[in-house]
Amino acid sequence: MTDLLLLVGCGSAAGALGALLGLGGGVLIVPLLTLGFDLPLREAIGVSLVCVIATSSASASVYLRRDIANLRLGMTLELFTAAAALAGGLIAFALPERVLGILFAGLLAYVAIVMVRGREPEADLDLPEASEAADPVPGADPSSFIDRLGGEGYRVRNLGWGVAGSMVAGLLSALLGIGGGVVKVPLMNQVMRVPLRVATATSNLMIGVTASSAGLIYLVRGEIDPYVAAPTALGVFAGAGVASRLAHRVDLKLLRTAFVVILAFTAIQMLARAVS
Amino acid sequence: MSMHSLDRRVGLALAVAAAGSICLLAAGVAIMVAGGVQPLTDPVPKLHPGRLGSDLAALRAEGWLWLGVIAVILTPAVRVAASLILFAAARDWRQTAIALAVLAVVALSVVVGYGG
Repeated sequence: MTDLLLLVGCGSAAGALGALLGLGGGVLIVPLLTLGFDLPLREAIGVSLVCVIATSSASASVYLRRDIANLRLGMTLELFTAAAALAGGLIAFALPERVLGILFAGLLAYVAIVMVRGREPEADLDLPEASEAADPVPGADPSSFIDRLGGEGYRVRNLGWGVAGSMVAGLLSALLGIGGGVVKVPLMNQVMRVPLRVATATSNLMIGVTASSAGLIYLVRGEIDPYVAAPTALGVFAGAGVASRLAHRVDLKLLRTAFVVILAFTAIQMLARAVS
Repeated sequence: MSMHSLDRRVGLALAVAAAGSICLLAAGVAIMVAGGVQPLTDPVPKLHPGRLGSDLAALRAEGWLWLGVIAVILTPAVRVAASLILFAAARDWRQTAIALAVLAVVALSVVVGYGG
C-alpha cells in the first residue's frame, strides 16, 4: 500500500510540475522511477510513455474542442513523428541501458539550460487578435497542400524542416519516454511560423500518437509493468489537472529556479547511475 | 462540414476515449488495493490477451490494469480513426489518406514489436 501511495504521490508531483512549467511529465517521471524506485530505465520509459499519452489525450481533447490545435497540421506531422517513434522504439531495445541513461542525462541538462536562458518565443508569432484572425491570409492558395495546413491568420512555412524536426522529436520520444514537445513547440513556432498557442496545442495533439507508436513496442515486449504504470498515470493525470487550475496562484519564477536546480542535480545522478 | 465542427467532433471522441481509459485504470487500481497487490514487490503480470476476458470477469486486478493500459495507449488511435471517418465524410481525401497512413504506422508498431 505504501508503494502504491508513493507512486500516486510522485506521479501527482510530476504531473503538477510538468503542467505548471509547460513540460511533459516524461522528463520527470523517468528519473523519479529509476532513481526513486530503482526501476530499470527501459521499464521506466515504458511507464512514462503511458503517463504521457494519458495526459496528452486529456489536454488535446480540450484544445481541439476550443479550436486551438491545428488538426490537419498535427496529423501531417504526426505521421513522421509516429514513424520515427517506431524506429526509435526498436533502437531503444538495441541500445544498452547505459547509453539511454547518458542520453537522458543530456536531455535533462538541455532542458535545464533552456530554462536558465529563459528563451521565450518571439511575441510577434503569437496568435493574432480575433478580428485580425478572421481575415483570410493574403496570398494563400486554397488548392495548395501547405497553404491548407495553415489556420486563421497564419500560414505554415518550411514544411520540410517541420517534417525533419518531427522525426527527431519522435525518435527522442521513443528513446527517452518523453512527449517531445521540447523539440516540436520551438520548431513549429520559430521555424514553421505557427503561433505559439497553436504550436503548443498541436504538439500536445501529436504527442499521443507518437508515444502510442513507441508504447505499443514497449507493451508487446513486456517492458510495461501495469502495477506501476496505472497508479503513476492516475497520479500524473490528477496532478496535471489540479495544477492547471492553480497555475495563476503559483510564483512560477521561484518554481522555475528551484526546478532548474532539481534538473541539474537529477542529470548528474542519472549520469552517475549510467556510468557506474 | 466546417473545419471547426470537425475538430470539435474529433475532440469529443478523444475526450470520451480518454475518460474511458482513465476509468479503467482507476477500476484496476481499486481492485489492486482491495486485493492487497504490492507494486514493485509482487511479480510483474504477463500480458495474455486470451486470458483478458476471464481476468475481467473474475475481477482480477491484472486484467483490469492491462485493459486500462491498452486503452490508454490506443486512445490516440481512436482520435485518428474518428478523424479518418470525418475527413472521408468531408471528401478531404488527402487528409483521409494521411489518417490512414498514421493508423497503419500504429498497427505496424505491434507487428514490429512482436517480430523483433
